[in-house]
Amino acid sequence: MTLTAASRATLPGRHLWRTPEFTLGVIAVAGFLALAVATGGNLLSAGTLGAFFRFLAVPIVIGLSQMVVLAVGQMNLSVGALTGFCAMASAWLMLEAGLPAPLAVLAALLLGLAVGVGNGALVVLTRINGFIVTLATMTIIQGLRYGVNGPDTYQGYSAGLREFGRASILGLPAVFLVAVAVAVLVALFFGRTVTGRQLLASGGSPFAARLSGISHDRSLIIAHGLSGLLAGVAAVLTVAASGSVNATIGDDLLLPSFAAPIIGGVALAGGMVSVTGTLLAAFLIRLVDVMQAQFGINPRWVDLIIGAVVLGAVLLGTVRAKLQERST
Amino acid sequence: MLTAENLVKTFPGVRALDGASLTLHPGSVHALLGENGAGKSTLVKLLTGVYRPDGGRITQDGQELHFGGPLDAQRAGIGVVHQERNLIPAFTVAENIVLHHLPSRAGWLDRRRMRAEARRCLELLEVELDPDTPVARLSVAQGQLVEIAKALSLDSTVLLLDEPTASLTGDEADRLFTVVRRLRDSGHAVVLVSHKLEEVFAVADTVTVLRDGRSVAEAAPLADFTQGQIVDLMVGRAFASVRLAERTVDEQAPPALQLKDVSTALGHREVSLAVRPGEILGLYGLVGAGRSELAKAVLGLERITGGTVEVHGRPARIRSVGEALHRHRLGYVTEDRKNEGLFLEQPVSRNIAVTVWRRLARAGLVSDRRERDLAETYAQRLGIRIATPRQPAGELSGGNQQKVSLAKWLAAECDILIVDEPTVGIDVRTKAAFHELIAGLAADGLALLLISSDLPETVVLADRIAVMSDLRIVGELDNDHDYQRMSQQIIRLIHAETHVEGGVSAA
Repeated sequence: MTLTAASRATLPGRHLWRTPEFTLGVIAVAGFLALAVATGGNLLSAGTLGAFFRFLAVPIVIGLSQMVVLAVGQMNLSVGALTGFCAMASAWLMLEAGLPAPLAVLAALLLGLAVGVGNGALVVLTRINGFIVTLATMTIIQGLRYGVNGPDTYQGYSAGLREFGRASILGLPAVFLVAVAVAVLVALFFGRTVTGRQLLASGGSPFAARLSGISHDRSLIIAHGLSGLLAGVAAVLTVAASGSVNATIGDDLLLPSFAAPIIGGVALAGGMVSVTGTLLAAFLIRLVDVMQAQFGINPRWVDLIIGAVVLGAVLLGTVRAKLQERST
Repeated sequence: MLTAENLVKTFPGVRALDGASLTLHPGSVHALLGENGAGKSTLVKLLTGVYRPDGGRITQDGQELHFGGPLDAQRAGIGVVHQERNLIPAFTVAENIVLHHLPSRAGWLDRRRMRAEARRCLELLEVELDPDTPVARLSVAQGQLVEIAKALSLDSTVLLLDEPTASLTGDEADRLFTVVRRLRDSGHAVVLVSHKLEEVFAVADTVTVLRDGRSVAEAAPLADFTQGQIVDLMVGRAFASVRLAERTVDEQAPPALQLKDVSTALGHREVSLAVRPGEILGLYGLVGAGRSELAKAVLGLERITGGTVEVHGRPARIRSVGEALHRHRLGYVTEDRKNEGLFLEQPVSRNIAVTVWRRLARAGLVSDRRERDLAETYAQRLGIRIATPRQPAGELSGGNQQKVSLAKWLAAECDILIVDEPTVGIDVRTKAAFHELIAGLAADGLALLLISSDLPETVVLADRIAVMSDLRIVGELDNDHDYQRMSQQIIRLIHAETHVEGGVSAA
């Protein structure tokens, strides 16, 4: 058997410039520079730049939250609602139950984890498609989220937490650095740990995984649990960065949660993740957001653009798979 | 008259057909015979436009035919009933029959014409079925008749039946053959692809035998042959050339894997088997006999309802592949390597390391490097041809993929291996190399259960051969590696079984 040039090109680690991540990186840098020029350098001022990265934190984490379930070929429609619910719950714990901030943060994370594991267990026990299960739990969680404090807003909770939300380290917002650290951990999880690899194996081929001694059910529960935990992280970052929370938190997170991994090159069918791609895609979406704010574009157009890009990214993935098939 | 001349069809790594010819006359039943992997299904798919030939030609009454797709073949009057079911359960009998050419008026479905057309096709078969019954309510045999009606709905003059009786009872098969004879008498050419020689001799007039993708008998009158002669043609005699490792089985050692009167939720009844270290036990049977399912029951993937499984003399209750692997060092090389054996998009290194990640991990972390080292070790040991361990498994040839699928169990240091159809879809030369490899593993002391429906392979490799038919072991033979005798005995065992079960009655 001879190895063709086409097959060699698909080997990871070679031809960096042909990876989707490289393309995304180039677009991100070009887009950022273009926007900096278009705003007459305004984007590069300390205040604007800080805000840019501060509000990039949640989209990154929420994108990763969706990515971990995509890895096993599942979807989690409840990520946005869950983020809002965890945010409301932690605010309630601090303001009404008088819990200190660190414990409230921990509680938010555990709540996210628990709901995620619940999602996974439901998928495994009922054998109902994860899309349907999380559609149902999303609706339930939306109700719970509203139940915490009705339509009212929580504010004036832990000064320390809000301080952390505004803090910068080496010129970068602390919440953004937390998001990047979480991304590194997720990358390490999938790249190097046994469990992470088992998740990817399950997602890539459930049958082959099962026949290699990997429990598919276990993979599903872990992925959903991790997704919930990451939604909890997003909730904590929201509470810290925004200074006030109400029952609408998370409503606008569902599309971005899919947009980041899908534009980032993650396969919808499972078995493959890209943390770098998800990060860069979240960055790009944030650029579009800033552009909208800077030029006073109707926000509906932004949704339209992001929707179109997601569709394009999926289409591109399909075309790429077809081309690869043909070349082997 | 439909003829195929010297058809050639190559798939990546395999030459499935290498000069297959066939001639069909109207008003006759033609049997297409051959071992598994001889190319029967490929030939059927070329004749019905599913694949396009790489060489040779198909002609009808002297005119060459080129099919762009299955519909072209149907339009040329060639209908087919594939082995797997192709009906839509929620649709009615009539809707299924005329599915490919639904009659319409101004864009609306013309239900009256649809029913009339369906009734016409069913009458051709002299079958009484209500065209408005949903297919989901029909029996398997009735569904098959609907498929035949569907195949005839475009005025087909040629009808191909691929293993039509595989899931029918004896009575149902008899009724099917009544229909086949009726079609023959009305001038159709019927091609019958079958494993069951008894039924072939009962209904067919002429025969084509395929071996290794070539026609070794073409359009010969069946009356000129005995069943034994047909078997000889199918298996050939050119297999003795393989050099296999010498091995000795310790008759005193307790069996590495033993099944005692095992029954399963799938219907296996009191299956008993034993494999000793260093031994290869062949488990032969036709497709659908329940061999892979038995293996999966042993691995805990299907429920065992009775009897015991023992590993090295101790009762083992295995609930998952993980337990089989980590507690009993029992591995299973699947027959379906693309879906069940490999992660096609993932590197070869991960495909091999998947069973041993825990062992490779340091402080919970696995390094790609250690995976690659492991892969390189096994690539060398098994002769897997890879450019780099990073290469996705899907890019390898069939034989190399199969070696990767095997390597993960060796990496996990399994000493009992269930090997399911190890050479399916692999060309003849690679096959021989694979046989040497398997014999070598037994010589190293592994206990192997070889599931195969490839008769020559079973006779070449196995020390003993257990024959399974219809979810039961119908006999066990000591293998003296004499082809003629072994194959005759085995085929007789299977046929005795179909007979007892109320099988085919000779006409």
